[in-house]
Amino acid sequence: MNLVVNGDAESGPGGGADPVEAVPGWRIAQGAPALIAYSLGGGYPTPDDPGPAARGSRFFSGGTSARTALVQDIELPARGATGRREVDAGRVRYAVSGWLGGYAGQEDGARLSVEFRAADGTPLALSVLGPVSAAERLGRTALVECAAEAAVPPGARGARVLLVFTRSGGGTSNDGYADAVSLTLHATGGRP
Amino acid sequence: MKLNRRDLLKAAAAAGALNVAWPLAVGLTPAEAREAAEALGADYDPAPFTLGVASGDPQPYSVLLWTRLAPEPLAAEQRLPETVEVRWTVAEDPRLRRVVAEGTTAASATLGHSVHIVVEGLRPGRHYWYGFRALGKTSRVGRTKTAPTGRIGKALFATANCQAFHDGYYAAHRAIARENLDFVIHLGDYIYEHGQVGGVPESHVRDHDGPEILTLGDYRKRHALYKGDRSLREAHAAHPWFLTWDDHEVVNDYSGTGGGAPFMKRRAAAYQAWYEHMPHRDSFGAMALPDPEIHRVRRWGELLELTVLDLRSYRSAQNLPDGTILGTDQKAWLKQGIDKAPDAWHVWANSIMLSQLRSPSGSGYMFTDQWDGFLAERREVLGHVHAGGLEDLVVLTGDWHSAFVDDIRVDFDRPDSPLVGTEFTAHSVTSGAYSADWNATNGPLMGRANPHLKYFEGNRYGYDVYEVTPERFSTHMRVIGDRRDPASPVSTLTTFHVDRGKPGSYEDPGTKGSPAQYRRD
Repeated sequence: MNLVVNGDAESGPGGGADPVEAVPGWRIAQGAPALIAYSLGGGYPTPDDPGPAARGSRFFSGGTSARTALVQDIELPARGATGRREVDAGRVRYAVSGWLGGYAGQEDGARLSVEFRAADGTPLALSVLGPVSAAERLGRTALVECAAEAAVPPGARGARVLLVFTRSGGGTSNDGYADAVSLTLHATGGRP
Repeated sequence: MKLNRRDLLKAAAAAGALNVAWPLAVGLTPAEAREAAEALGADYDPAPFTLGVASGDPQPYSVLLWTRLAPEPLAAEQRLPETVEVRWTVAEDPRLRRVVAEGTTAASATLGHSVHIVVEGLRPGRHYWYGFRALGKTSRVGRTKTAPTGRIGKALFATANCQAFHDGYYAAHRAIARENLDFVIHLGDYIYEHGQVGGVPESHVRDHDGPEILTLGDYRKRHALYKGDRSLREAHAAHPWFLTWDDHEVVNDYSGTGGGAPFMKRRAAAYQAWYEHMPHRDSFGAMALPDPEIHRVRRWGELLELTVLDLRSYRSAQNLPDGTILGTDQKAWLKQGIDKAPDAWHVWANSIMLSQLRSPSGSGYMFTDQWDGFLAERREVLGHVHAGGLEDLVVLTGDWHSAFVDDIRVDFDRPDSPLVGTEFTAHSVTSGAYSADWNATNGPLMGRANPHLKYFEGNRYGYDVYEVTPERFSTHMRVIGDRRDPASPVSTLTTFHVDRGKPGSYEDPGTKGSPAQYRRD
């Protein structure tokens, strides 16, 4: 089960290139994102550009701020196959993934990270994905799949997902793009 | 065969093969690299706690403890399980017998097997000792101290900055470890990102490990290389540290915003490696790694309010009409802090020079990477200090590799504008300064071009110690004799005082005759 709420940018206001003031599931920590429809055109990613196969109707962009940051705090399950007892026994792994990209040859980018935290907020684990460079996109407008997985450290009680969009150089539009943000937990059974 | 360091260096230099002799050259395994590093003067604590122990961000009831498991310190990744259980102990005695707190935590490969533990429930103004155990091994014992509460008669602390590995040994840190301090502030340039400099041993005592660092693995190895100087580990183990950073933790003169995707990736790698190697508390902020939140306000009793600034993460490009060195949010936060400041000494940990520094010719500025590149914001902040009636402001600065004492004026171009504080810019630990000839020529010229400049000395290296009482703030400039000597003796070059309630500094009459390249008075 994907623990990230609205990781696909499908909920809440948006659809155009204008920044929005709120995004369901996310706290806007810096700047203001835009949730853009793949059908918008105007040089933004389209349904035909490289991106998630099941991409829904919209994706995240950095709006018009030089730096836009979205934060989502996730409480890890207390019980069950990926609950605290299993985490503390070292029998849970996480997988984080997202499609990250940008516009043509520009170096605007999106970075996705997840920090697993102890009950007091101290970081215990970290995975950082992206940003994807223009070279990695072969110089074309695209979203590229990025993924990492690792053990959930014993003592972890929460995860903070951070999605940062950065604009390079001049211009107005922050053309870091992201979609299909996902964080899942997996029980490993007896294997620590 | 046991290698003799000096003979090895000489032979390698003669053969033009320092890049082979010096550790971490391409092709060496981490173990071989470490062996070579040790042959050339580096050393490490016993594995897996090779990089030592540290504490940071002391508060009255809490302190952060740090270590990192790195059996092979010069490897990008450790051959360890993905997570390793680490036991920690805090006690009232150096033998860790009177235990007051203990527990376990997990060291994750994703964070370089670093360990950060927030210890709560401590008592204010007390020394504590701490240690770690993992993989059947025990770390060295570190000492820390919690912040006091209420009225106190004195605080004693130090700053250190700019410690280029190749430019000298860390005799300054050796001395810091031996000072009876409450805490240490590092003002940045803890590591340098560039490649090898050559000239060992004629010009440099040692060298970097390879080319310019770019990746998380590169930055990890560079931090580990720097911690191969035992004096740095001693200073960390002796006192709690507060931390800020400057540019070289990432790359020279960078701005935290505006870079393209390759730079942002590099910045994230550098920031993560910095976090992995520092006693930094990052559990209270609104953001998350790999963007650690550096700026904070801390109290040392009712005597001192410490404001730690981050002048890199949120800055714009230099020399823009609406440029920012603080970023919008940090500036608002700083101004709010000024508005509600208590009656205390107000100390800003400021990585890069706040005061105006016109070039010796008087036209233009020496460097606009410092606050001189953000004129409108400086006027706004200092105007706010004045309008808010903030008194007893002392700004502590690094970066310049030379010592300056400046009057802080609201408008530096108007010598009659209000005097709102004093800035002490400290000598570097090792990073090279201008030549003695340059300093002798340009010290007086800088003094003439900058009427707020009171003192300049650029021929020495060391650190500053601050002795703070309710009545007086004294800055003792400690200098080492020789950067090439790991155990170089330390002396006090001079002392400046600031009296409570009286803006402006004055030099102690007992040291006023000490060498300097400029004195206004």
